[in-house]
Amino acid sequence: MASEIKTGPQLRPSVLRRLLRGAQLELRMLLLLLLLAVALSLISPYFFTLSNILNLMDQSVITGIVAIGQTFVILIAGIDLSVGSLTGATGIILGLSLAELPLPIAILAAIVAGGLAGFVNGFIITKGRVAAFIVTLGMMSVGRSMAYVLSGANSISQLPDSLGDLASSTILGVPTNFAVLVVLYGVAWYYLTFTKGGRTIYAIGSNAEAARTAGLRVDFYSVLVYVISGALSAVAAVFLAARILSIDPIAATGLELDTIAAVVIGGASLFGGRGTIIGTFIGVVIMVLIRNGLNLLNVNPYWQGTAIGSIIVAAVLLERFLSAREGMHRGQGEEG
Amino acid sequence: MSLETNFAVPGEPALAIDARGIWKAFERTQALSGASFALRAGEIHALVGANGAGKSTFSRIVSGHLSADRGEIFMFGRPTRFGSAREAIQGGVTMVMQETSLAPDLSVLENIYLPELGAAGRLSWRNLTSRAESLLDQFGQRAHLPLRRPVRELSAGQLQMVEILKALALDAKVIIFDEPTASFSPNEVDRLFDIMRLLAQGGKALVFVSHRLEEIFEITDRITVFREGRTVASAAPAAEMRPAELVRLMVGREIADIYARGVDGRGEKSTGKPVIEVEHLACAPRVKDVSFTVNSGEILGLAGLIGAGRSECVEALFGLRRIERGTVRLSGSPFTARAPIEAVRAGIGFIPEDRRRQGLVQDFTVRENLLLAHLGQRRSLGLGYDERSASVARLLEELGLPQRILDEGILTLSGGMQQKVVLARWILMSPKLLILDEPTRGVDIATRSTIYAMIRRLARQGMAVLLVSSDFEEVIGLSDRIVVMSDGSDVTSIPSALVDVEKLAMFAAPRSSAEATRSILEMLVQRFGGIAYWISMDGDRLYCFDSVAVQNAPEIGFARGSFPEIVDVSIPKALRQRPDHFLLEPAGATLLVPLRGHRGHDLGYVGLTLANDNALPDAAAVRASILDGPTTPATSVAARRH
Repeated sequence: MASEIKTGPQLRPSVLRRLLRGAQLELRMLLLLLLLAVALSLISPYFFTLSNILNLMDQSVITGIVAIGQTFVILIAGIDLSVGSLTGATGIILGLSLAELPLPIAILAAIVAGGLAGFVNGFIITKGRVAAFIVTLGMMSVGRSMAYVLSGANSISQLPDSLGDLASSTILGVPTNFAVLVVLYGVAWYYLTFTKGGRTIYAIGSNAEAARTAGLRVDFYSVLVYVISGALSAVAAVFLAARILSIDPIAATGLELDTIAAVVIGGASLFGGRGTIIGTFIGVVIMVLIRNGLNLLNVNPYWQGTAIGSIIVAAVLLERFLSAREGMHRGQGEEG
Repeated sequence: MSLETNFAVPGEPALAIDARGIWKAFERTQALSGASFALRAGEIHALVGANGAGKSTFSRIVSGHLSADRGEIFMFGRPTRFGSAREAIQGGVTMVMQETSLAPDLSVLENIYLPELGAAGRLSWRNLTSRAESLLDQFGQRAHLPLRRPVRELSAGQLQMVEILKALALDAKVIIFDEPTASFSPNEVDRLFDIMRLLAQGGKALVFVSHRLEEIFEITDRITVFREGRTVASAAPAAEMRPAELVRLMVGREIADIYARGVDGRGEKSTGKPVIEVEHLACAPRVKDVSFTVNSGEILGLAGLIGAGRSECVEALFGLRRIERGTVRLSGSPFTARAPIEAVRAGIGFIPEDRRRQGLVQDFTVRENLLLAHLGQRRSLGLGYDERSASVARLLEELGLPQRILDEGILTLSGGMQQKVVLARWILMSPKLLILDEPTRGVDIATRSTIYAMIRRLARQGMAVLLVSSDFEEVIGLSDRIVVMSDGSDVTSIPSALVDVEKLAMFAAPRSSAEATRSILEMLVQRFGGIAYWISMDGDRLYCFDSVAVQNAPEIGFARGSFPEIVDVSIPKALRQRPDHFLLEPAGATLLVPLRGHRGHDLGYVGLTLANDNALPDAAAVRASILDGPTTPATSVAARRH
């Protein structure tokens, strides 16, 4: 056995190989994304115009922000169905607050409200041991109802122009909202890859019991991911309201499905422990491209649901197929 | 013909199962390397082996759950190869598994006849009910198994019963019981054994997979032993096999060397201050009252049978279970862990029993698995992996693991290497107390010896080690001192140099015989007064496994759990001479009666010591009432004698 020990020299190339192997799924998805882009630019001359690119960026923002939180939740093998209605409800809270509070405070109020709703989700799921599906389904209903109650079922419009700057201004030529999205993805990537909390989240999703036995704070981080998801729903609400300076209680209906789809297309496993934030970003862009492509091709918008739905199922099938093949190499192990 | 027919009598019908040269490899482990097995109709045949010997794999091959890589299986003389468990059941082979495959919301009756629910045509419930009732009557179980009750509400023993009935409803000819008694109460064990005897008398061939020696000797006719995928003893008559010999066959001679100690030798090592002191610990449902102390530099073995509450006890210490009663002191100050992280920060390491479920993060690399405890106790935000890289490299070298595996997925390693990684995870934290729960389960001999050497070295450096193991050989070989647990309480604390596997097994109180001897002891003091005890003697030393006394019984100098030298007790003459009458000594009058198991195994002595001023009963009457056996309740014995 001792003769097997080798140190040093061939370490470097193996790190590179590991990186490539680790990112295999993302590379595949990136390839798919590029193929999609090339195909669309061949089909429609309008695709590669500046205005369409800006349009694509704009459309990525809302789904993109909420998908970060959804990724955190799915990484611990949870699910958050309440993000869409929380975006709606916190948007209403933002709109109502703006009538009396300065912009930064109003934004903060919305984010705190989103975080609190997420905390309720996480606390009941973790401490009460109720399935995430059930708890967040309940919160989805409560959130939408709160949006109607608080707004009196009317949309709130004529929001201050300072809010609109978030959607219309640019930083170094990049729309501010898209820049914020990119920064958020950078922070999330760093957190999940290089911090104790991030690795704990992966460990919980892979094997919560082993994580607990090794002394990781499983309950704390299991609640935290829902808080993050709720708070990011509110951040998305801010950008949603900024876009048209108006917010409607039915806003962001169905957003939970778009985000789950993006996360799954990005290669995360609904059983937890596997998936990356970069994969999710690619998933979001693929979703937006498909929607955009269907619009450019003048496909009846009613068909979009069918297209998106089929893609989600196809992505999961692909994952099942690939992990089954991988399973043949890693499975079985010991015998009892 | 082949080896396994040695015991066959000419003209005897073909073997129920005749498996020859069975090979089976999983990805990295060779589970079976040419194992063979010969099963007759009408017998109960023990299939025995240590963990990882391949007995489960073999059972799953015979019952169609797995297919063999190589080898032949003959059933009643015809070559057979089952493609699935369903085919095997149709062919008359059923395996009754620990984890049952019943439908929890269906009734007992529906589960028994589940295969028929799929058949065409109308079901006659009345017909099914009467068939089920006659099956139950046949085995005297009608009172114990309500047919209409949903399976979800049944006890573990009843579940197993349903599985058995399901097999019988399909007219199974061969029934394999895979560790059936693991979750049974003593009564359920007795009931299962009665049924197994009836089945064997009815011509069924039964395989009893177990590592409980006591049960093996009680119920089986012949024994086949597997070791590391090979058959090392084939169909040996159980009546001619001694327990010690069976243990040797199971573990092999190689094992003796791997416990070899360093220069400090056993018993001579001086140990330091108490690291953990546990007093009257209780946590439902298994742990009732446990006390022990582990000193620094000491390896304390916590021995006992499955279900004795050992794992639950150490899990409570580590914060994985809530402590209900009792006190724990760590380095002298009171300590309770509400979560593992508190135990880790207080300096406790824990290697859990089930590596897959509690030990490994499957999606992580070796490096991240190794640094998992480091990550958990870390107070700052970052990973801090680099701070540990030097000690990680050194540890890997000590454990004989190549450095290059650090970036591999943990599941690419063999079971033994995975276990080394889990061990390294905790060594890295330099805990004061290291708890090891079954540290060598499913691990090959070479890895075991590395792990043993590592544990011993850690203890030499002053770490306190608490070892939980159901492998008695391992407990004796590795520990300095052994605390035996039985049924949620500690029975004795004994230096490992003073016990062997057989005595440990008796202290651990194998359920059925312990209950039986206890009822004999109770009956004795009830009828005659004084003190009654169950002991075994080895050279100059006496081991007392159980004792029952009336108030103001004579003082004899030993009681349950003690192991004094014979010269130090109050009745040395009687213990040495063991005459067939009451022997008078200053302390009292003593009668010893040798105790034999079902097949004549030596189970030590039952003794009765009465105060000298009593009128002595007739020795023959006492002996008769002891040998009358445990099954007769004391009162009815008394009544009959009048």
